[in-house]
Amino acid sequence: MAALCRGKHRWRRTNCLYVSTRNLTGKYDYDLVVIGGGSGGLACSKEAAQLGQKVAVLDYVEPTVKGTKWGLGGTCVNVGCIPKKLMHQAALLGAAVKDAKKYGWQITGPVCHDWATMAEAVHNHVRSLNWGHRVQLQDKKVKYLNLKGSLVDKHTVKGLSKAGKETILTAKNVVIASGGRPKCPTNVPGAMEHGITSDDIFWLKKSPGKTLVVGASYVALECAGFLTGVGMDTTVMVRSIALRGFDQQIAGLVTDYMKTYGTKFAWKCVPKRVDKLSSGALQVTWTDTQTGNDHKDTFDSVLWAVGRAPETKALGLDKLGVQLNKETGKIVLGADESTSVPNIYAFGDIGEGRPELTPTAIKAGKLLAQRLAGQTTELMNYDSVATTVFTPLEYGCVGLSEEEAEKRHGKDGIEVYHAFYKPLEFTVAERDASQCYIKVVCERAGDQKILGLHFTGPNAGEVTQGFAMGFQCGATYSHLLQTVGIHPTCAEEVVKVNITKRSGLDATVTGC
Amino acid sequence: MAHYEEVNVRGYEEFSHAVSERKGKDIFAYFSGDKDVQGKSWCPDCVKAEPVVRGEMTHLPEGSVFIYCQVGERAYWKDPSNDFKKTLKLSGVPTLLRYGTPQKLVEDECLKAELVRMMFTED
Repeated sequence: MAALCRGKHRWRRTNCLYVSTRNLTGKYDYDLVVIGGGSGGLACSKEAAQLGQKVAVLDYVEPTVKGTKWGLGGTCVNVGCIPKKLMHQAALLGAAVKDAKKYGWQITGPVCHDWATMAEAVHNHVRSLNWGHRVQLQDKKVKYLNLKGSLVDKHTVKGLSKAGKETILTAKNVVIASGGRPKCPTNVPGAMEHGITSDDIFWLKKSPGKTLVVGASYVALECAGFLTGVGMDTTVMVRSIALRGFDQQIAGLVTDYMKTYGTKFAWKCVPKRVDKLSSGALQVTWTDTQTGNDHKDTFDSVLWAVGRAPETKALGLDKLGVQLNKETGKIVLGADESTSVPNIYAFGDIGEGRPELTPTAIKAGKLLAQRLAGQTTELMNYDSVATTVFTPLEYGCVGLSEEEAEKRHGKDGIEVYHAFYKPLEFTVAERDASQCYIKVVCERAGDQKILGLHFTGPNAGEVTQGFAMGFQCGATYSHLLQTVGIHPTCAEEVVKVNITKRSGLDATVTGC
Repeated sequence: MAHYEEVNVRGYEEFSHAVSERKGKDIFAYFSGDKDVQGKSWCPDCVKAEPVVRGEMTHLPEGSVFIYCQVGERAYWKDPSNDFKKTLKLSGVPTLLRYGTPQKLVEDECLKAELVRMMFTED
C-alpha cells in the first residue's frame, strides 16, 4: 500500500493512504468523485464512466442505533422502495387470499403470515441487487470504495473506512449524492433508545408485533399499511394532517380506507415519552392535543416516521462554504445541480426543494454526468413528476393537487371532474370500494388543460404511469374525452370522467 | 498446498451431495458443460472461461471450497426441466456462484477476470 505514495508529497503522520498524488500540472486522481452509492450516485457515476470519465464512487452506511446496516444501492434498494413494495405485495396477497374464497378457491382454515419467511425472501432479493450493482460498477470501470466520504477542499475527498483508516482522493469535480436518513425525535425521552425507523423495519428478522407508527407521511402510512396487512396490531399517531403536500381530499380517502381495513389512528396526538417495561414491551405516553389529556399504551415496537434529513455535518460542507438550507440541512442548488462552490455538485434527496424520488435522482444524475462531460446542456425537468403512494389503497397522481390548482388559478379558474368507481374485481370479493376515486383537475377555459390527475385504487402506479406521459404532452380534458377506454379496467374510468364538482351531482359511476 | 479445497463432481446428485457434506463452509461452484475424452467441453464459453476462473483461484478465501461441476451433455442441459435449471435456478453455462448467496456470474461475466476476482474477494 505504501508503494502508492509517490511524488512530492510527504508521508504524513496521520494514518492516511494516498491513492495517488496531485502533480504540478493540476491533474487529479479522478475526473469525478461521487459521494453516495444510491439511486442517484450510481446512475451518475456509471453514466460518467461510460462517457470516458475516470470515476470513483464512495458508498458507506452508518449503522442505525439498533445496528442495522446494508450493502450498495442506497435507500431505495435497501430500506426504501424495493423492500417496501415487496412487503406491500405480501400484505396485498393476504387480502387476495381472503377474496379467493369468494372466487371458488377452497382454502381450509385461517391463513396466517410468517414474518421470517417474508423477511428472508425480501433480503435475498435486496442482496442480489447489491451484488448486481457491484458487478455493474466493476464492469463499467467505476472505482467503488466502501468508505465514508467527506470533503477536505473542493478538489479533495477523504474516505474513512470502518476501521478508521483514511484514504484521500483528488477530483476535478465532486458530486454529493448521499441522500438522507430517517429523523428521530430528540425531545421525546426514550425515542432513540427504544424506537426503530424505516431503516430498521425492513431488516427485522422477527415480527415487530404490536406497532405504533409515529408520523403521517407516506413512509408512515405505507409501513403501517403493510404491517396491518400481514396481521400486526398497528396504530398510526398523527400530529396534525396526513400526507402533507398531497391532495388532502385524497389523503382522507387513503386514511379512511386504512381505518376500514384495521389500522388504528390517533389523530392530533404527540408522543411524550417511551419507556421500556420489565416485560420488554414499550410503554408510550402521549398527549391528545385536542383534549390536553395524556394517555398510555404498550407496544412491541415504536416506528418513528417523522421526516428525513441529510447528514450534511459529516460531509464537511460548512468548512467549504457550501450553502445549506438552515431549516432542512439540505444543499441549496442551482437548476444545473451546482452548489455555491464551483465544481461541487449535488442532487437527489440531499438537494433542497428536490423530490425525494429514485427516478428523478437517476435522471438528474445521468444529465449531470452528461453535462460535466460536455455532452449536453440539458437541465433536469422536475415538473410534472408522477408518483404513487403504496398504501393499502394505492394513490397515484401527477401534477397539482386541487388546493394547489385553486391557489394558482382561483376556484373559478379550474374545473374538477371526478368519479367514485368500483373495481370489477371487488364485486365478487364483496369488498368495500367507497374510497376508490378519480379526480382530474383542469383549467376551466379553452381545451381545459389538465393541471392534476389523481387516482386511488388497485395498481394505482400502473394506472398513473401512462397518464403521466399524456400530462407531459400537455393533455387537455378534450384529449381525455377523445380517448376510448379499455374495458373492463379501473383505468378506463379516468377517460370517462364527466361529472364536475361544480355541478354538485352524485359522482358515483354506475355499471356499463 | 492450496488454501481452499477443490472438489470435482458430475451431475446434480453428486453436486448436492458434495454441498451437504460441507455445511457451514464458504462454497464457490463453477458449472460447466461436460468435457469429452479430449478434455474439451461442448460449451464454447465454458472453454473460454475456465482459464480465466482458474487464474483467479489464488484469491479464494482461506478455508473455502471450490466445486467444479460438470452439468451433463448438451441435450440434458438444453432440457428446461433439468435439475440445475429447476432447483438451482441456473440460467446458463458457465455459471460461477457462491452457494447460499445471491453472488453469481453468468456466461460472459465469467470471462472477466476482475469480476471473478471481485466475487472471490468480496465479503
